[in-house]
Formats: sequence, structure tokens, C-alpha cells
Amino acid sequence: MTKTNASDMIRSARFRAEREASWKRLEGLVAEVEKSGTAALSYGQALDLASLYRQAMNSLSVARSISMDKSLLLYLEALCARAYLVIYAPQESITGALQRLFVTGIPQAVRRSAIPLVIGFAAMMIGCLVGYLLFQQDPSWYFTFVPPELADGRAPGASASYLRDSLYDTDTRDGESLGVFASFLFSHNTRIAIFIFALGVFVALPSFALTFYNGVLLGAFVALYAEAGLGPDVVAWLSIHGVTEISAICVACAGGAKLGLAVLNPGSLTRRAALKDASHDAVKLAILAGLMLIVAALVEGFLRQLIQDMWLRLVIGWGLGLCWMLWLALSGRNRESGQ
Amino acid sequence: MIGRKAELLPPEGVPIAFEISSAGSRLGAQLLDILITFGGMFLLFVVLIWMGVFDWGLLATLFFLLTFLIRIPYYIFAELVWNGRTIGKRIVKIRVVSDNGGRLTPHQIVARNLMKEVEVFLPIATLLSGQFDTSLTGWMLFFWMVGILLVPLLNKHRQRLGDMIAGTLVVDQPQLVLMPDLSTRSATKGNGFVFDTGQLGVYGRYELQVLEEILRSRPQSLEQTKRMQEVARTIVRKIGYQQRLLPNDYWNFLNDFYRQQREFLENRHLFGDTRENKFHDVKAAGKET
Repeated sequence: MTKTNASDMIRSARFRAEREASWKRLEGLVAEVEKSGTAALSYGQALDLASLYRQAMNSLSVARSISMDKSLLLYLEALCARAYLVIYAPQESITGALQRLFVTGIPQAVRRSAIPLVIGFAAMMIGCLVGYLLFQQDPSWYFTFVPPELADGRAPGASASYLRDSLYDTDTRDGESLGVFASFLFSHNTRIAIFIFALGVFVALPSFALTFYNGVLLGAFVALYAEAGLGPDVVAWLSIHGVTEISAICVACAGGAKLGLAVLNPGSLTRRAALKDASHDAVKLAILAGLMLIVAALVEGFLRQLIQDMWLRLVIGWGLGLCWMLWLALSGRNRESGQ
Repeated sequence: MIGRKAELLPPEGVPIAFEISSAGSRLGAQLLDILITFGGMFLLFVVLIWMGVFDWGLLATLFFLLTFLIRIPYYIFAELVWNGRTIGKRIVKIRVVSDNGGRLTPHQIVARNLMKEVEVFLPIATLLSGQFDTSLTGWMLFFWMVGILLVPLLNKHRQRLGDMIAGTLVVDQPQLVLMPDLSTRSATKGNGFVFDTGQLGVYGRYELQVLEEILRSRPQSLEQTKRMQEVARTIVRKIGYQQRLLPNDYWNFLNDFYRQQREFLENRHLFGDTRENKFHDVKAAGKET
């Protein structure tokens, strides 16, 4: 078999012969970037990558209209696809993306999501109220709500002194076991928050129900201590981390509600498009919830055990809450108006 | 079910088709990822405990942090760093792409993976644990979870809920194979087979590309040779080729026919007369009447 010379070739074969070398070069560059990243390229190579990519795209477009060589078309399509994935890769620096997220992204998303936030906090508060009132009516409700492993002896009928001890830990823990406790809390609570968030896509009801149930638990728990005359003490005990932690659950629920509302009431969009639209703010709410849970776990794991004074607990808890509020209310204001 | 395509439109304006990954390869990638993360963590702890440099408190802290990190954060970081590929996806050769033709954004990666907890981990863990009650709620939960797992099988682009929310697709990594151009291989020296317009006008693009596949490799076995000869005889009969043809010449005959047929069809195509298959005459006649 011999190769025919160029003048003998048919048009599409000539087209290919003229460009094949540049495709092969692009293939080599793409393989290199896929293996060791864009940073491995020299300045000249990076420039070449871009221009060779455009040439290959051009070739694909021309080949589709002049060539019936199936293998060539498949090759060009795959080459362009690979090069496209290499060139349109995420190129933001992680620090830049994080900075944008914290300065503008999250606070603006929170300010845009008033209704879902109301739903999230309402679920918690109504649950809390229901739990409190039911307990006052009949303390045996407590056993219905609270699973025994969570109650840990803190049940109706427990003596006031036992309850007091459970609030003001007298046995001193060393720093290490506090760290274990904090990391357990974080790992556990974050999973629950992601759960509450993701369930929101099923028209928000499961998120609402889970948050409501958490509220009922909380209400019954407070009522139990209030009956023993320890009302302010339990509020302080809960406040130091709870202001952040319980708000985080509500925020996660709000993120879920945002998705659920998009499914329930997509407006003039299709449900799928509405869901996609809502996800931008919803995901930021979920990230915020995760962040708050990290802080809450640190506070619950360390500070609550180390600080035994009721007033200091209240001040730290609500002060932290105030900080969250200030950040979310004020950050990223001028950029918002600038856009 | 196999061979579904999704067309993306990159900013350059030339549509590119990607093959949507099969449900099997996605399940495989997911199982591999679970195996790698949980297995890796198990091995790490075996080694750490064996070395005995850390005390139990530190180990427990590490354990709780890692059990969290290997769930959602692992997938987010892997897909961020490797542009839509976790380790499992790399092994199975599939990847996540944005369905709008732009680049994959961090938002999309976070959104699709946050949903994983409810869509993948919860149903798998619950169904595998085997502990569900046979009450009405038990059955409802069971069907609900099976339903969630089935979502990717029930829509056109095999998207799970997280993919729909984020606007992402999972596609096969395109494979690069460049075959030689068949039209440049001229088997005949001097006396080539020559076909006239009437003979070349019988077939269309589809038949040409089938012939291309046949000609990709020379027949090795007796059976392959027989099949190739049958193709050649069919073509001779259909186009009404008059000259005598020796069995030895069949291969060269097909190669020459391919080259001239392709040149002819490509020319007609440039003049606006695209012949998709051998029924192009019927269509043209139908239009005229």
C-alpha cells in the first residue's frame, strides 16, 4: 500500500492532512494538563492551548459540513470535548471564592430569603411552644417526645438537685475529652442540618416537621427544668451554644424551605428552572448553617463546660447571636447597591 | 437505554455531544468512592492504633471529624480540585459537567453534593441495614427511598435530584482515537477500479459509513473474508458493475469504491444535495410529485 500524494487526495482528506499535526499537538497539551494541571504549562504552551482549541473547534465545525469520514468526526468531537473541559475548568482561587462567599454571598442570600427564614424559625418556635404547653398540661408527654437515650435520667420526677447538677457540671473534664465532645457534636449536628436542608426539596414538609420536632424537644426540656424552679438556669445553659446552634437548624430548615417553595410555587418558570434558581440562595443558607454549627460545637464542647456562671453564659450566648445578626445584616451592603 | 447523548453548547458556538453515563457506571463510581473513603479511614486507624503514638482522646476526635469529612466534604473537594471527578469517577472514567456549556461552578458542585445525604447515603444505609417495620409507615418509607434511588433512571439525562438542582450532567470521559484516513490508502497500483456517476449515485452517507467500519481492518479469518466478499458482491449487483471481478480483487475493489463514493457524496453535499442513505432517490422523487 502506498500513500497517494496531496494533489490526488479528495477534498476532505486534504483538509485533514493539513490540520492533523495541530490536532495532535492539542491532544498532547490536553493530556499534559489533565495529568498535572494548567500550572504545568509554560507561557507559550498556555497560549498555544487556547489558540489550538479554537482551531480545533473551527475544524470540527467545518468537518461536519464537508467530511463524511465518521472516525474523523468522532475523533474531533472527542478532542474538542476534552479540550473544552480542560479550558473551561474552575479557575477561581479558593481564597477568592471564600472571601466573596463570606463578604457578599451569604449575607445577601440571607437578606433575600425572608419568607423561608420566617418558616424555619416559626417551625422551631411553634414546636417549642407546643412542647412547653403539653408538658405543663401533662408531664407524661415528656416520655412520648424524648427518646430515653437523649433524656439520660433528666425526666419528670427527677430531683431538683440532680437537675441542677446536670446543668452545672462539677466533675472537671480535661481539655482533651472536651475536644472529643466538640468534634462529636459538630459531626452529628452537621449531618442533621444537611439532612433537614436536603429534605426540603420534598415540598418543604419534612424539613418543617423535623425542625418542629426539635422545637418540641426543646420546649419539653425547658418545661421540665422550669417546673423544678431552674427556668433561668436552663435558659442560660442552653443559650451559650443554643442561640447559635438552634438558629443554625432554623437556617438549614429555611434553606430547605426555599427549595420546597420553589417546587410548590414555581411562578412562571418550570419547576426544574425554579429549583435551580432557588438553589443559589438555598445552598448558601446550608453553608451558613454548617459554619454556625462549627462555632456552636466549639462553644458547647469547651465554653459551656468551662464557664459555670449563669450570667456569663447568657452574655456569651446572646452576644454571639448579636455578632451573627450584625454580620448578616450589614456585610456586603454597598456592593449590593452597586450591582 | 445505552448511548444517550446530551448536546452542550460551549461559548465557541459549536455544539459538542457528550455520552450520558450509564446507571451502572455511576453506581460503580459511587460504590468505589464509599469503599475508598471508608476503607481508607479504616486503614488509617489500624495504622494509627498499631503505631500507638496518639492517645485515645485524640483518636476519637479524629474519628468524629473524619466520619464527617468523608461524607459530603470529600465529594465537594474532590470535584472542585479535579474538575468534576472524584476518585471513583476517575477510575470509572466519568465526570460531572455543567449543562449550560459554561464552566462547572463551585455552587453547582456544592449543591449537587449536599443532596447526596438524602439521595444516596440515607436510602442505601436504610435499605442495607434491613431494619424496617412492616407497618404502613414502614412500607411508605421503603417505597419513598426506592423512589429516590430510581429518579436517575426515570429521566432523559439520568439526573438525580441534586443534578437537577445544580444543573449538572454526569457524562462519560470522551476517548480519543484517531484512525487513519481510508481515502488516502490506495491499494491499487495503476489499474484502479473506476465508477461512473450512475453507479456512485446508488448509496448515501449511512452506507458509506458502514463500509468505512468494514474497511477499518483487513479480514483475518476465513469467515471475515467471506463476509467481506459478500459485501463486495452485493455492491457489484446493486450498482450494476459490468466488468469481471476476481475474488482476489474484492478488497481493492471495496477500497476504491469507498474513496470514489466518499468524494462523490461530499461533493453533492457541498452543492446542497445531502444523501443520508440509499433511499435518497425515493425522497427526491416524492418531493417532485
